[in-house]
Amino acid sequence: MKRSWFDRKQLAFPYFIYLILFVVMPLLVVLYYGFTDEEGNISFTNFVLFFTNGRTMGTLVYSLVIAVFVTVICLILAYPVAYILAKGRYARRHSFLMVFVLPMWINFTLRITALKEILTLIEGNLAYYPFVNTVICMVYDFLPFMIMPLFNALTKLDKSMIEAGHDLGATFPQVMLKIVLPLSIPGIVSGITMVFLPAMTNYVVLDMVYNSTYIMGSLIGSYFNAYDWNNGSIISAILLMFIGLFTIITDKIMTKEEA
Amino acid sequence: MRGGKLPGRIAVTCIIACAVMITCLGGCSGNKSDVITLRVSNWEEYIDEGDWGEDELIELDDGTEIIGRNNLINDFEDWYLETYGVQVKVEYSTFGTNEDLYNQLTIGDVYDVVCPSEYMIMKLMREGMLVPYSSDFRNAYDENNYYENGVSPYIRSVFDDLSIEGEPLSKYAAGYMWGTLGFVYNPDEVTKEEASHWNILLNRDYYRRITIKDSVRDAFFAAAGVHFYDEITSDEFINSPDYHERLSQIINSTDVDTVNSIEDILANAKDNVYSFETDSGKADMVTGKVVANEQWSGDAVYTLDQAEEDGVELCYAVPQECTNLWFDGWVMLKSGIEQDTRKQHVAEAFVNYLSKPENVVRNMYYIGYTSVISGGDSDTVFDYLNWCYAAEDEEEAEDEETAADASEDDPQEEETHEEDAELVEYSEIGYFFEADTDEANKKYSVITTENQLDRQLFAQYPPMSVLDRAVVMACFDDESNERINRSWTNVRCFDLNSLFGSKRKYE
Repeated sequence: MKRSWFDRKQLAFPYFIYLILFVVMPLLVVLYYGFTDEEGNISFTNFVLFFTNGRTMGTLVYSLVIAVFVTVICLILAYPVAYILAKGRYARRHSFLMVFVLPMWINFTLRITALKEILTLIEGNLAYYPFVNTVICMVYDFLPFMIMPLFNALTKLDKSMIEAGHDLGATFPQVMLKIVLPLSIPGIVSGITMVFLPAMTNYVVLDMVYNSTYIMGSLIGSYFNAYDWNNGSIISAILLMFIGLFTIITDKIMTKEEA
Repeated sequence: MRGGKLPGRIAVTCIIACAVMITCLGGCSGNKSDVITLRVSNWEEYIDEGDWGEDELIELDDGTEIIGRNNLINDFEDWYLETYGVQVKVEYSTFGTNEDLYNQLTIGDVYDVVCPSEYMIMKLMREGMLVPYSSDFRNAYDENNYYENGVSPYIRSVFDDLSIEGEPLSKYAAGYMWGTLGFVYNPDEVTKEEASHWNILLNRDYYRRITIKDSVRDAFFAAAGVHFYDEITSDEFINSPDYHERLSQIINSTDVDTVNSIEDILANAKDNVYSFETDSGKADMVTGKVVANEQWSGDAVYTLDQAEEDGVELCYAVPQECTNLWFDGWVMLKSGIEQDTRKQHVAEAFVNYLSKPENVVRNMYYIGYTSVISGGDSDTVFDYLNWCYAAEDEEEAEDEETAADASEDDPQEEETHEEDAELVEYSEIGYFFEADTDEANKKYSVITTENQLDRQLFAQYPPMSVLDRAVVMACFDDESNERINRSWTNVRCFDLNSLFGSKRKYE
């Protein structure tokens, strides 16, 4: 069937170049700096320092707490919306979906600037509740990223499964917990990956709502500002390892679910 | 069909080859013709970019008219061709922070002339990356040497006195803009007295209503002012003969105990201030979210101007304890100049052109910062100062335009027309233009409205009494820098111990 003068694999060529230049190469540079000292000798002190320095761990915990709050709230808010949109009898559910995803079309700094004014009105002074404001703004920012994958997973869900559950006498909560929820796990997982990791590093939001406590992203930036490329790189590398670990674990869970 | 790939490959190769050839040709032709390329890197929005409206024409008392029609960079290229008969092409780029600039240089970006702040100049000097200015640049008999002939005597002495490893700063750097560090404050909410002390950052009355700069050095300076308050405000200390040197020494101390105490102060400040801000402070002052805001004098002038347009009157105060004398200056880099004397001449001419009084005025009007140039024999800079601040409101000036043109009256005569506004004579800036003497103070006095003494005029040209307590923050050695940076990270990071009850105490 190879009629054209190139085969399909070549279509991936532009992305392959992109991958080498902008993903693999920088990653190698990060790893190089992460595991060398100022003189360029191989060293693990940066790596050890990450886990022994109380403040770095404090930042990690703080970022994790923010990310957990943001992800959980996003999930709680997004799930019912996605379910209703996917399973309800709306003639134009895709248009409805657009309404929820529409904010994504506006630049997020602009949206947060507007949100800041609203929060100032409600709270009186934005700086009183930096943590709460950070979570609110991040939820606002990341919600569409949670709705989309959930919506996709739930639309694909076979309606006859739910009907079968009802026919066999399951109550609505039972159907939700035992049928809908397990079947939508792929959607939940991809939603979490879309929200959790950015929430750990997106320090622009913190800057904008005047939260002066560092999260992982700002900590990395501060090291680079102090010309400490080695320690900055090791933090990036360790975060990357976390991400890798997270992906592997979720992958395991998903394959187990499917089996 | 493996062979089918070939045309595609050939096409790609051709495109790449063409691209390479074009770049090469461009480069080659550049070398052949007589164009010198000058690579300049400067702060963002730190030079007159032209395009002024016709109504922005600055008409000085002596009839000089100044307006920025073109970008100052292009004007320089024209001027150099006209004056020295050589075509110059300026490649102009900008940087965001001193650290960004330094990182760019270490990565291998090449510039000929850059404009870092004082501590970065010292760092570059220490690392031997700079080219000293030539003796031609210092030749006061060359009328094109606007810098040598125009730099303020005060700034000259500051540059001469600062030294790194035995060499004065003035050998390697030519100043650009300078100023102090203080607070922009809203006089309706904060008293001048309160804004004149660094410990306003810890003042519980203004809980979450004051901002501090999100920069290690500026935050540390403020905290040092709080930490050493008792020591540096005692009468005995202030009246000691070597007050200034000792003040500089104390504020710049970086021993472990000091850094730890400063860390505690900053941790408390973090719990009290509105935010560590980078550039939101100006807008938040105008909207009233913030009542005081740590600022460099140059930014303060801009903030005050902006607030004025929105109908809010803000003021600027310099703390009584001490202030940071900062400046940005032009330095030439070894990696760029590479002993090319022709290029070095262009670089020095660039600095001179920026120091030409008319261009100084253009820059000052455009940026709002204060130039280190006082003008020497030319009164243009002082006339501009008068144009900005001398008490005579603009509408009236326009009405009297024809009359003013005809007579070269001295400012005091003009004042007799003024009635309602309270006028004062600000005669404390002789030091900047000539010398710190009564005679010079009188010669360079401005009759202005009283509120200007707390506002733009004061921010742009502080009196000598402010500069007595102004110290240049040193370029610390690596060990101190590491200590300071670590403690800054500690301030900003979440403290796990606070979860277990051992929270930091206030004050």
